[in-house]
Amino acid sequence: MRALFTLISTVIGFWAVEFALFHTGAYSLILRHDSSTGSVETYIRNELKRNRSTAPQVLTIGDSRMGFLPRYANDLQTGTQFASIALGGSTPRDWYYMLRGVDPKANRYSAVVIAMNDFEDAEILEDYSVRATDLYYLIGRLKYSDIPYFAKSYQHDPKLEWAAVRGIVLKGLIYKRDFQDFLLHPVGRIQMSQAARKESYLWYYNYVGTNSSMEGVVVDWTNRTVTVPPGFTETQKAAYEFQFLAPSPPYTGVRSAYLHQWLGKIYEHYRASKTRLIFLYLPRGPFVRPDQPAFNPHSSIRELSLQPGVMLLPERLFESIEQPGLFVDQFHMNGPGCAQFSRILAKEISHRLDAL
Amino acid sequence: MLFNTAEFFVFLAIVLAVFYASPRAFRRVILLIASYVFYLSWNYKFVVLLLGLTVVDYGAAIAIERAPASRKKPFLLISLAANLGMLGFFKYYNFFADNLAQLLRFPPHSWTFSIILPLGISFHTFQSISYVVDVYRGEQQAIRNPVDYALFISFFPQLVAGPIVRAREFFADLYAWKHPSQEEVLRGVLLVTLGLTKKIAFADQFALLSDSYFQHLSDHPGGFAAWSGVFAFSMQIFFDFSGYTDMAIGMALLLGFHFPVNFRRPYLAFSITDFWHRWHISLSRWLRDYLYIPLGGNRYGRLMTYRNLMLTMLLGGLWHGASWNFVIWGGYHGALLSIERMIGRREFEKKPPLWLYPFRALITFGLVYIGWIFFRAATFADSRYVITQLFHGGKQYQAFVPRWMMYMTGASLLIAIVEEKFEWTERLSRGSAWAYAAFMILLLLTIELIGVTEKALPFVYFQF
Repeated sequence: MRALFTLISTVIGFWAVEFALFHTGAYSLILRHDSSTGSVETYIRNELKRNRSTAPQVLTIGDSRMGFLPRYANDLQTGTQFASIALGGSTPRDWYYMLRGVDPKANRYSAVVIAMNDFEDAEILEDYSVRATDLYYLIGRLKYSDIPYFAKSYQHDPKLEWAAVRGIVLKGLIYKRDFQDFLLHPVGRIQMSQAARKESYLWYYNYVGTNSSMEGVVVDWTNRTVTVPPGFTETQKAAYEFQFLAPSPPYTGVRSAYLHQWLGKIYEHYRASKTRLIFLYLPRGPFVRPDQPAFNPHSSIRELSLQPGVMLLPERLFESIEQPGLFVDQFHMNGPGCAQFSRILAKEISHRLDAL
Repeated sequence: MLFNTAEFFVFLAIVLAVFYASPRAFRRVILLIASYVFYLSWNYKFVVLLLGLTVVDYGAAIAIERAPASRKKPFLLISLAANLGMLGFFKYYNFFADNLAQLLRFPPHSWTFSIILPLGISFHTFQSISYVVDVYRGEQQAIRNPVDYALFISFFPQLVAGPIVRAREFFADLYAWKHPSQEEVLRGVLLVTLGLTKKIAFADQFALLSDSYFQHLSDHPGGFAAWSGVFAFSMQIFFDFSGYTDMAIGMALLLGFHFPVNFRRPYLAFSITDFWHRWHISLSRWLRDYLYIPLGGNRYGRLMTYRNLMLTMLLGGLWHGASWNFVIWGGYHGALLSIERMIGRREFEKKPPLWLYPFRALITFGLVYIGWIFFRAATFADSRYVITQLFHGGKQYQAFVPRWMMYMTGASLLIAIVEEKFEWTERLSRGSAWAYAAFMILLLLTIELIGVTEKALPFVYFQF
């Protein structure tokens, strides 16, 4: 009996310590603020402690291509207050858990604006349904009760499915890289984490982007060539060639199924609320490929748009931004591009909300 | 099925459950089946080899016992020929064939075959030899029950990498099997956890560094990288092998078997003689009893003693692997042991005074450290390169071993020193439940936060 008691005490003790460290948010005191997990936690914490006015609140979300800078939008004083938790490298799966984190009761926002690359569920090279890094982005958000749904979302890769179960139960396995990094410079890390907790809202809010642009880059669609002016590297040129000239992946329905699942999950979260879900079609890039994805009436977004409380912004709302001078690379808007994009979006959203 | 995988722990849990749920009469059969299932999970083809050697040695031992004194030897020779023949073919054929081809100026690999080394062959053949020799010497009764003998050879906790258990130790446990006491259960679980921590939190972390150094030597020039790379391997090999052994001893304990200690804090040794009393003790003991003493030991004068030491260590080196580097490593240790004998055996067996101990331990570690270069480097040329870098590599700084790993090494050194003095891990399983639980929680957290869990790295000694 003594051995059994000791071993049970050990298991309970280990679980208690693990829970206290990683399931209560205690570890976030030393979490690196710009790591995958740290970024999600920092964005959510900043959004939760942001000063909210009495004006209607609008939250935007997306990945790194979502160049919305709330500062420009709020400077317009449209009568709506804007915020953003758009995060580089995040995916619709992450967006659901991030939205759940900032708005658990689905009652904080008049609208949530979701940035999409297209409305057609066009395929991309990566299959997001088996994206291992999502576990790292979301580990601070996931609870034991998320195990069945979250792990099952990796069902196409049993190893990842198991890793997700294991990771949520033993979160330290996922925080491990961060912890080992912490051990390298513990004092510096603690100072940086404290600074990030206090000031990172302003770091992000005051960010204005870079002025570099793709001015001078020319894509010749007929001859299928890209020319770059002096100052651009061969690596950049190769990246442009790949992005603009490589054939697009054929439609398989994989991305559509993924988007149906996760955008559907976001919709479910807000279905019974007064929050509007607004989808926007991001500027397609500095150069618009002639082979744009075909119209898909059954795409996840178009099907969602038939639901009450869901809106689609006009697809070509940001066409004026689709020029090399407003992009820093083949994907991302530069500072002036972001400013212009933010203002257009703010006006459009305010207008739409006013019209309701 | 590596010890450091989830699959293995599921296997172990099933074996323990079935073992204790079964009537006592069936337990040996259950362990034997489990051991063969374990071996089958590696490579089913070699089960035939394991089974074949088991049959030969089982029969040879009975024949030796039954035969009159004058006619025992042929049966011993049959057993030795079978074991050493298999070991020689699988482990050394290519080595000798290749060296002979080079000597006779044939193109390299002219006479070599593509041979896969059967897992654990070096260990189970040594265990078989010790059994048959003990029967021949009259120190061990031949085992009549084939299941018992097959279990002795294939017992899964130690089948792959030891410790090399003597027949009388194993059968004493088997024939007078007792349910493990509460303390033994706690100690068994502690040892398995401690071993796993040593393996995946320490050895595998150091393995990432030492592999990165030794596999890409030219990418890491300079003395600092060389010292760090060899240090990383020195830590890896200790934590890896002693971690494996702790797990093996712990698992055996949970099944009611008591394996001998195989490591006693070897990096605290104050001489090379002391080092070999602390490192891979079951192999040292085997080499002493079945090689060094039969060669004459220290009974025929000083020169013969040195010769016997050298021969024993050279063969011990070669046992580790078919490569000249292992021979050099063995020879290097043989030479150091001979030098210590030359200076005076007592001097190196007697614990030095406290003020001298750290210096002696540091010098011993330094000597062992140099030896590891030959053990780890792929070729003799690589070993020479690393040694040159160590002493003439210049001051080019390359932060190779992260600071936190140095802290962990420091912490484990402290733990080892305290353990040397108080043997507190032994006491933990007898003492307060809270102290035991606290230490276990610390180990589990170390595994969780430091361990290399993305992929299971094989144990170093599995290749031998």
